[in-house]
Amino acid sequence: MLTMQGGGETPVVLSGRLDATQAAAAQAYLDRLHGVVTLDCSDLQYLSSAGLGVFLKTHKRLLGAGGRLRLTAVNRHLQDIFSYSGFDQILEIEPGR
Amino acid sequence: MIDRSAGEGLSTEDLAILLDVTRSLAAPFDLMSMLASVTAAARQVLRADRSSVWLHDAAAGELVLEVSSDIRHVRIPVGHGLVGACARDRQLLNVADCYADPRFDQQVDRRSGYRTRCSLTLPLIDHAGALVGVMQVLNRIDGTFQAADEQLASALAAQCAVALQRVQMIESLIEGEKMRREMEMAQVVQMSTLPQAMPDVAGYDVHGTFRPALLTGGDTFDLAPVGDGLLVVLGDATGHGIAPALSVTQMHAMLRIAFRLGAALETAFAQVNDLLAETLAEDRFVTAFIGVLDPRAHVLRYVSAGQGPILHFHADRGTCSRHKPTSFPLGAMALPRPPRAAEMIFAPGDVLVLLSDGIYEYGNGAGEQFGEDRVEQVVAGHHAHGMAALSAALLDAVQAFAGGAAQEDDITVVLVRRGPAVSESAAFARRIDVLAEIVAFTTAAFARQGIPAALRADVDFVLEELFTNIVKYGRGKAPVAIEIAAIPGGVEVTLTEPEADRFDVTQASPVDVTLPAVQRQPGGLGLHLIPRLVDSVQYGYSEGERCSRIVFRKTDAAPSPGVAGHNEDQRC
Repeated sequence: MLTMQGGGETPVVLSGRLDATQAAAAQAYLDRLHGVVTLDCSDLQYLSSAGLGVFLKTHKRLLGAGGRLRLTAVNRHLQDIFSYSGFDQILEIEPGR
Repeated sequence: MIDRSAGEGLSTEDLAILLDVTRSLAAPFDLMSMLASVTAAARQVLRADRSSVWLHDAAAGELVLEVSSDIRHVRIPVGHGLVGACARDRQLLNVADCYADPRFDQQVDRRSGYRTRCSLTLPLIDHAGALVGVMQVLNRIDGTFQAADEQLASALAAQCAVALQRVQMIESLIEGEKMRREMEMAQVVQMSTLPQAMPDVAGYDVHGTFRPALLTGGDTFDLAPVGDGLLVVLGDATGHGIAPALSVTQMHAMLRIAFRLGAALETAFAQVNDLLAETLAEDRFVTAFIGVLDPRAHVLRYVSAGQGPILHFHADRGTCSRHKPTSFPLGAMALPRPPRAAEMIFAPGDVLVLLSDGIYEYGNGAGEQFGEDRVEQVVAGHHAHGMAALSAALLDAVQAFAGGAAQEDDITVVLVRRGPAVSESAAFARRIDVLAEIVAFTTAAFARQGIPAALRADVDFVLEELFTNIVKYGRGKAPVAIEIAAIPGGVEVTLTEPEADRFDVTQASPVDVTLPAVQRQPGGLGLHLIPRLVDSVQYGYSEGERCSRIVFRKTDAAPSPGVAGHNEDQRC
């Protein structure tokens, strides 16, 4: 289960699990946002490659319009995923606990 | 006036008085009332001015005066004075002129101001022939004591001895009953310190039993959650009964407090030892096993103060290894330095067996002890049946071995078993929305098998990638089976895909993760990440059954580059 709140002026707070079943909903939510979009990942427990795909697609779209995607409070599991996938070199990632 | 003269038997009147006394002595008395009744009767039937009953304190070799008209609680040694001589010789003494008799102690008269003229002194002998006291009457009102008085006094003395014995037995019974009630209360208190229910530890089966030899015992045990771990204690104080029970109960409480306050094992051990060394009597000590189990890492760190052997049953070999204590008993002396903890690592199915010497040293009639070998045989035969059942089997085996010999020492059993190497499997339909069911299955399997939860995220990731890969690209319809099994320090997961085409996930096209964002594509990332997140991945394919099988392992060992491989002709 994944919940998303915020956007625009405030960071988008993601809570729960971003897996293949939640990817489409997450993509639709992020598609509405523009500019520099910050994702607060402090309550994001789990991310699969489907979630990576959502982040990549969003980041590429924002880049095209002069914006970007930033991730804050990224946990250990997510850091591993970003690092092994090279996403740590693409996205601005601020580690959490 | 009763007519008595030398050589005659008891008159009817004498008999009537004696029967009257006997009847009154048969009534329920406390000791003092009974003695007062006897001495009053003696004065009456023997026409004596004074009378007294001395109780025999066999342990002290003394006679104790409990009742007389003017002196109380006087003690004299057996052999001293007329009373002492009567007790020593167990002979009736009829002395017409006391001051003329060298055995008479004139000091008694001097202290009381009384003048003893004549006396009749009789031993009180119970049914078993034991001396219970001495009865003495002084100064016959109308002269000296005659042979008929001796007969009457002897009859009275016999009644008195029986009544005295009866009263003393009743008093000792009452005292014993009071003591028994107090011991029962002590047992309730001691038992209340023991775990009332066994704690629930994921992936483990734990059990403790305490069977004291007396109402209270010198053993204790604890199985209590502390933080993320489990406190495991077995203590055995020297001796059994109330004093050792207090010692172990004290240790038990101190340990619980120390661990609740978050003390490290070594610190708690050292503090409790030093406190006990200060407070225990010089000749007392407590042997104790104190350990903390990390049920996720499957490591038990422990210090054993003179408590051994510590048995570690290895499920894979079916035998026990025996470990010695790591230090001297608790409370024997202050520790010069903190103790060094030992570690025991539980593989699936392994059992920690802690038993007090009440089991090892339980004797049969032939002088043999139950011993370690018999314990190991029982453990090897019953380890798979649950720890409560193993505990019962141990106690049954000891009883059978003892052949009716009484339990002489306290018996305590503490058992900790890691869940066996089980696997759980389930089949899942090929739909993405089934992922939630897979997560629920994985969650339950991890908890049931005690697999470290820290491995969950990576295992979920790899399972999701492999499963969604099958859903997206597989052409078959049959459900996909997932099997989860605990392995030392981690988990092995097997995905079986029937109606499959060969696609070796370990040979997927490489992904260039260094490309700039605009050139990156999400596809293929999952398979790229799998070998990096787990310890090993194996792919197998059976041509005959058109079945593929992927096995990956993840442990809590330091991250290392994953190993990928493949097997041919794998059977599904």
